[in-house]
Amino acid sequence: MTKDLVDLDGGQTRMEAAYGSDDGDEDHFAITAKKEASLGAIFEQNYRSWNGNLGPRWVRNYAIFRHHVFGLFTSKGHRNYNPFVRLTILVIFIGAVSPIAMLFFSSLFGSGPDGVIDKMWGVNRSNLWGQVLGYFPRNLCYWPLLTALVVGGMISDDRRNGTSAIYFSRPVTRVDYTLMKYLSVAVVLGFVIVFSYMAYYTLAIVFKGEGWAFLIDTLPMFLSGLLCSILLVITYTSIGLALSSISQSRFFSAIAFLSIIYGTKLVALLIDLQFDTSILYILSPYDCLAHFGQWMLGIELNYSHSLSLSIVSLILMNGISIMVLVSRVSSLEVTRE
Amino acid sequence: MTDDNKTPSVILENVSKWYGQVIGVNDISLAIEGGVTGILGPNGAGKSTLFKLLMGRIKPSQGSVKLFGIDPWSDTSPYRRIGYVSESERLYDWMTGQDFVSTLARLHGMTREESNARAEHVLDFVGLHDVRHKEIGKYSKGMRQRVKIAHALVHDPDLIILDEPLHGCDPIARTSIMNVIRELGSQGKTVLVSSHILEEIERITEQIVILHNGRLLALGNLYAIRDLLDKHPHRIMITTDEPRKLASAFIEEEPVFGVRFPEKGKLEIQTNDLSAAHSVLPRVIVDSKVPVSRIDNPDDNLESLLGYLIGG
Repeated sequence: MTKDLVDLDGGQTRMEAAYGSDDGDEDHFAITAKKEASLGAIFEQNYRSWNGNLGPRWVRNYAIFRHHVFGLFTSKGHRNYNPFVRLTILVIFIGAVSPIAMLFFSSLFGSGPDGVIDKMWGVNRSNLWGQVLGYFPRNLCYWPLLTALVVGGMISDDRRNGTSAIYFSRPVTRVDYTLMKYLSVAVVLGFVIVFSYMAYYTLAIVFKGEGWAFLIDTLPMFLSGLLCSILLVITYTSIGLALSSISQSRFFSAIAFLSIIYGTKLVALLIDLQFDTSILYILSPYDCLAHFGQWMLGIELNYSHSLSLSIVSLILMNGISIMVLVSRVSSLEVTRE
Repeated sequence: MTDDNKTPSVILENVSKWYGQVIGVNDISLAIEGGVTGILGPNGAGKSTLFKLLMGRIKPSQGSVKLFGIDPWSDTSPYRRIGYVSESERLYDWMTGQDFVSTLARLHGMTREESNARAEHVLDFVGLHDVRHKEIGKYSKGMRQRVKIAHALVHDPDLIILDEPLHGCDPIARTSIMNVIRELGSQGKTVLVSSHILEEIERITEQIVILHNGRLLALGNLYAIRDLLDKHPHRIMITTDEPRKLASAFIEEEPVFGVRFPEKGKLEIQTNDLSAAHSVLPRVIVDSKVPVSRIDNPDDNLESLLGYLIGG
């Protein structure tokens, strides 16, 4: 090896292998770089105090809310939503507002009040109920899947990653933390479920050019359906967040939620078919809501058991879910690591 | 800065915390105000438990914790004035450093403009200005530690609590973080920094709190604590070709009470008065005409101090 082969000025270092490359008789040597390697970075460590005023509680709470809701649309939020998840939510939203398109076609083609389109998608008791509580496709596909996707990592990600420490090392109480998580999920679900319901009713009036008489006739039904949709959002949010809070896995939360919704429904359906009793439907969140919704909108009841049982069951489901949620959030970060 | 009535930033009074049968911290009382204070102790000493108590994450089983005169367990208002870097806290890896720090600034109640400007400044302060638009998931360990420090500083806290901030960092990142901590201390902020690497703390501050098995072993200036330990034997290690000849010369000297030969070519002198031993050292070596290649003081570091305190 000659020194000509070594780029001394360029700062490159070459080293002969100690063993194996030669026959052992040569004078081995190593050449180190003449130039010093630039390993360090010098920067100005000039700390400047900040003399501003920190905002009040609602500003902080809005920041938490924003952090969770905006995460759906940007990469700056609580969770980095997979594009497929975002696409699924978009498809669910489009599916939820699809009756509006049919109403639009109905107004274009001049279908009368007894037309097929109006019967299937026009504003009436059954369709208002079905817009929120219809089983297929909304409560079989849309709402449970939407809830599972949104609540999946809402608290479980914090449990797994320890990111709840980020909140609790700031002037954020556990009550605010829980409330803002709850509100964030409810707003996302509400945007799809409640907003699509409201848009459906409002645009039905606009497209058909209905007057005050129609409004007076249908407004109580609409408000009943609105109450049901809000109740559905609350119930699904409570159950979903409770499941998210007891786990460190977003997959578990999502699957557990779907299992509860579909499992209870399936078991109750089998018992109903076998023994002709609907009592086990009180275990199914969807059926309790559907039962209550049927009564609120004044349509024929599909259930033979008392409505009171469904209402009590709904209250218990929400109560237990919120109790679990509060209990689990209280224990976040307070155990020995 | 602190209140006009000069309430110390941190006050712990007879604080104990038990996890079932396990003692986290045991009857600790201390008050800390201003400058950098190192919390030292081996793993399991209670450093993280102490910080969790300070951050209101856990409630003391006994005693009281006050931050700026307020109990952090029942009132979150002190957190407006505290920046906390947890040891285990993970980050939002998909966010850029700038977005992450500004988002957390907004959790303190800053406006969008304030949070963006402030995030840029603190990222600049910790040396991440050039990579602030890079995703945190692509940061090195040292950069992640620095971004954690940046988010703790974004609201300009008066008390900064850093749990093992140098853990896992490369030498450049360590030096950088140490400079940041020293700078914050020199600005009059109260900085608590924990470590089980004793040399790290020694390079940052002289004010130390030593914990072991949940108990407070020592508190105060590092060198003052060392002076209190003069009753303990000190060692001087001499590297020479003729250790036995040199040992015979040293054993006649008053400050020396023992000699050892720990390995070939090494002489260990044991003394209760280190300065007196050092004052006779040159004369004895010259008179003995024994060539000496090296003299070390193995006890002159923080690790041995901890060893003395815990009887190790």
